[in-house]
Amino acid sequence: MKEDYLWDKTGEPDPEIQQLEEILGTLRYEPKPLELPQDLLTPRRRRNHFPLLAIAATVLLALLAAGLWLRVRTQSESQPQQASVTPAQSTIDEKSTVATNNDEERKQQKIEQVRKRGWARLRPLPRHSKHRSSSTTLAKQEREEALEAKQQVMLALRLTTEKLSLVHKKNQSPSNQIKNQHRVG
Amino acid sequence: MYVTADMLLMSPEAQAAEQPQETAVEIVLVRAVLDGDRDGFARLYDLYAPLVHGILLARVPRVEVDDLVQDIFLHAFRKLHTLRDASSFGPWIAMIARNRAVDYHRRSKETVEISDEVRGSDTHDSKAKEILELIRSLPETYRETLILRLVEGMTGPEIAARTGLTAASVRVNLHRGMKLLRERLGFVEGV
Repeated sequence: MKEDYLWDKTGEPDPEIQQLEEILGTLRYEPKPLELPQDLLTPRRRRNHFPLLAIAATVLLALLAAGLWLRVRTQSESQPQQASVTPAQSTIDEKSTVATNNDEERKQQKIEQVRKRGWARLRPLPRHSKHRSSSTTLAKQEREEALEAKQQVMLALRLTTEKLSLVHKKNQSPSNQIKNQHRVG
Repeated sequence: MYVTADMLLMSPEAQAAEQPQETAVEIVLVRAVLDGDRDGFARLYDLYAPLVHGILLARVPRVEVDDLVQDIFLHAFRKLHTLRDASSFGPWIAMIARNRAVDYHRRSKETVEISDEVRGSDTHDSKAKEILELIRSLPETYRETLILRLVEGMTGPEIAARTGLTAASVRVNLHRGMKLLRERLGFVEGV
């Protein structure tokens, strides 16, 4: 019961504790009005800008990625067209000089066979085989460009990540470290 | 006589029931202050000044305590916007008070501290100061809780709610601190 008195002042009072309370009560806090200077501004709620910044950074990143993708795509589309025109013309020239009537008949026959099989979209075999050498060089170019584009995208991603983490750190640091905000003076 | 196992193993519900529901008031007051209500801070001051006073009394000379209480609340007013969780105003200002006491001792190393005896005081006051010095000589864990209980007149649940300590910790600190104080005062247990 006496222990309850020490804990929450209920139960049978402990005379020793009562005596101590009486003596030490003279040192108790005496209410005094708080003197806040009039020119001291009222503290304002701190706005959390992190979500807005994160959204802005994401949109920026998406736009950057889309721009890079479009650039790569337009480059890759324009180069194969140019490349495919020249080999086609050269094959026509070759045809006109080298091909004989028999060859043309054979080609016609083959085309007819393909059509019958339902592969009308397929190009004639000789032309396709001639394109192979140019298409391999194109593939190399495309690959290099794609790698370059990839590197650019990776760089942009890295930059954005750095910026995001910086913003996050700035936003987190003052109030998360509870010890710092308690420092006085 | 002292802390029993069932006291320490109290369920969280029982502990919560013992703690007064002050957090809701704190939240309302802190939000009011942040919305520009200066009177709300005066209410917070009225609620927490005894706690800050007790914490300082356990650490710094009595004559410095009143000025430091004002300084701490002024600092808290300026920095209130940095408090994320409005319900933890008590633990926050308690931590400010403890840090301020540490700073006081760091700065006052080079200056000569005038003791209470030199300043002169009446006999009734001197007995209180003697006991206060005895409490101050106890381990830090116990002295703050004992001063809040015996000087400021707060109950165990109130101390727990305002400092952010668990009720079990406060109970242990009170009982062990009281046991040590009794020994030093020469009281015989159980009499």
